[in-house]
Amino acid sequence: MSRPFVNASVRQPLDVTSVVTAIPVTIYATGWNAAITRSQKIDVVSDDFVCEPPKTASFRFGKPRIKTFSYAFPEGPDWQTSVGDKVKKPSKRSASPRSVKRSATHLKPPTDIVKLQDRLYYMLQPPLETILNSESLHMPLEPFPYQYEGVAFLYTRYAAILADEMGLGKTMQAITSIRLLLRASEVRGVLLICPKPLVTNWKREFTTWAPEIPVSIIEGNQTKRHWLWQQPHLPVKIANYELLMRDRDVVLDSGLSFDLVVLDEAQRIKNRSSTTSQITRAITRTRNWALTGTPIENSSEDLVGIFEFLSPGYLHSGMTARRMGKAAGDYILRRTKDRVMTDMPPKLFRDAELDLSPEQWASYKTAEDEGIVQLEDMGSELTIQHVFELVLRLKQICNFDPATGASSKLERLEADLEEVVASGRKAIVFSQWVKTLDKMRDRLKRFGTLEYHGKIPSKKRDGVISQFKEDPSKHVILMSYGAGSVGLNLQFCRYVFLFDRWWNPAIEDQAINRAHRIGVAGSVTVTRMLTLGTIEERINQVLEEKRALFDIILSQTGAPSSYGLSKDEVFGLFNLKLPKNEAA
Amino acid sequence: MTASGPISSPSIGFLTVRDFPELGLIGGYLVLNTTGRPLEFHCTAPVRPNRTQEILYGPTLVPYLYGEQIAQTLLGKAKAKPLFICTDVEPALAVRNFVATPVTLVSENKAASDKLHCFQLGTREAAVFANRQQDQEAIATLWREHAEELDLLEPFNRLHEAIDEAQRGAARSAAA
Repeated sequence: MSRPFVNASVRQPLDVTSVVTAIPVTIYATGWNAAITRSQKIDVVSDDFVCEPPKTASFRFGKPRIKTFSYAFPEGPDWQTSVGDKVKKPSKRSASPRSVKRSATHLKPPTDIVKLQDRLYYMLQPPLETILNSESLHMPLEPFPYQYEGVAFLYTRYAAILADEMGLGKTMQAITSIRLLLRASEVRGVLLICPKPLVTNWKREFTTWAPEIPVSIIEGNQTKRHWLWQQPHLPVKIANYELLMRDRDVVLDSGLSFDLVVLDEAQRIKNRSSTTSQITRAITRTRNWALTGTPIENSSEDLVGIFEFLSPGYLHSGMTARRMGKAAGDYILRRTKDRVMTDMPPKLFRDAELDLSPEQWASYKTAEDEGIVQLEDMGSELTIQHVFELVLRLKQICNFDPATGASSKLERLEADLEEVVASGRKAIVFSQWVKTLDKMRDRLKRFGTLEYHGKIPSKKRDGVISQFKEDPSKHVILMSYGAGSVGLNLQFCRYVFLFDRWWNPAIEDQAINRAHRIGVAGSVTVTRMLTLGTIEERINQVLEEKRALFDIILSQTGAPSSYGLSKDEVFGLFNLKLPKNEAA
Repeated sequence: MTASGPISSPSIGFLTVRDFPELGLIGGYLVLNTTGRPLEFHCTAPVRPNRTQEILYGPTLVPYLYGEQIAQTLLGKAKAKPLFICTDVEPALAVRNFVATPVTLVSENKAASDKLHCFQLGTREAAVFANRQQDQEAIATLWREHAEELDLLEPFNRLHEAIDEAQRGAARSAAA
């Protein structure tokens, strides 16, 4: 299509030619247009949306239940509680400066306490240092750490042996344990049995370490003793072994019972067949403690004997040393000075090896030669008693010549004592025989001499000790091993003389430890007198060999070493064979 | 050894949690009177978090276990209402969020944490949560009035020993 174009200036129409530019389109009948105009057909597919929920992990932040164990403590022990009616307000004496920094010693339940509550009862108590430093349990001196350990050991045990070496304070440890048990009302009646000479010492120690505990000594005539035994309100009764035998009927047959029985010097009951052992074993009691520095004096049988009191049948004769040591281990506490008292002044041994005087030597040779001949002539009738008699006779000659009174030992002793006295010190002289001490008396008089032995009445003995301690003019005390070897505190003495030697070094050690014990101000010099070429030298040799052997064996078991001479060894002193009747 | 009746004397609580690698966490709580005598002891069975707890609780797991789970359970078991509670493990302080009783961390050495407010309690170092500084005054006053003689660290020795003993006892029972 075209149309004339008009130029406005000329106003003359233009010719326009139209050209069709459309491209012809041929439409084929495909049917698509119809399809487009046709209504849509919709297919509906229905599906159910109810399906498995997606998997999830849930965690509740609630409080889970935790299993617990609870233990409410009983009312006691309250150590603040007083005992008896004799209560003193504790004095405010100052403790020793040892108490600068205290460790904490806890009560230790023994292995035979198995119930958890019972074990916790002990374990959760305050440390002993705290208890014993409380206002109402004042201690006159701060105990040593090992003494706290000893108290912790005894307190929890129904059967125990405190076997500390002499001088470490077994008495104080036992008293403190008793005191705590009484104040905690865990025990109400205690019986303490000790050798007769030690009764007053125990009483004195109770006054020092447990002044508020009423203590009664069983003594006096039979009526008074029976009355004392029967008093139910006396918390602590002290009796001696000898008296126990006299009062056995009232002790065993009158319905008496004790919460605790303590045996001091418990080696007294090592022989199971002895009357003492039988009576102590028959006492009705709940707890038993044995105190001894020498639980084994001659053989392991001694320990079996003590255990018959503590826990009958627990140890028996057939046990090997190792097995016995293991079984007894939890019941025995043994400490030695060299292990716990490292700062204690030393004990210096000086062996005075002397020749007999000519007079003594002549008497000695005669007695020995004749004696051996007599022993040999006795044949099968020879007993250990006969050998002992000869040994004792020879030992006495080693001390003094029976005819002239000559004594090389006494001469040496006098010389030594001159020095001791000149230095203002005090000395103890021990002998096996009171007769020997009698013979010294006059020659030593000038040194200010006191005597403490079997011939001194018991009632006077405390006075002798006090005088020796306090009187500056008294420098020497003559003591027999029997009377003076146990329980006495003579730590103010710096010199000990063993004029003759005891059969058993344990007894000698006990004697020496009267001076070398806690509180000793300086070293203690021990002079052991020994005459050369005599029976004394032979006995010493045998004992030294035994000491070495026992040390090897007993160091394996942890048990203390102590030993004497066997029958074989006694006969061997004179090269005699043990007769068959003695070997049984 | 029978249990006593209601406990009313002033007391102090000692709380600890011990980690036994083979068992898990064991909590212990000891209540002492002011002279140090034990009144109550409680301990938990071993608590061990599972893997999920470890992941989800993240860094809050330890205070959650020590403070919320173990300590709160133990304190809930006790009859005695102590004047204050001492702990020797810092995460156990978290129990303070659940109890009204002041709780303090006691140690030999000063705690080094921004979250804690440190102070001296006698010869011992003590600490409370920094946002609970008011506890310091309360604890110090109660300690001076009632327990000045008490060594606040010593009871933890007892507590640890007792937990060990209880754990040994449980092991023995399990073996029997």
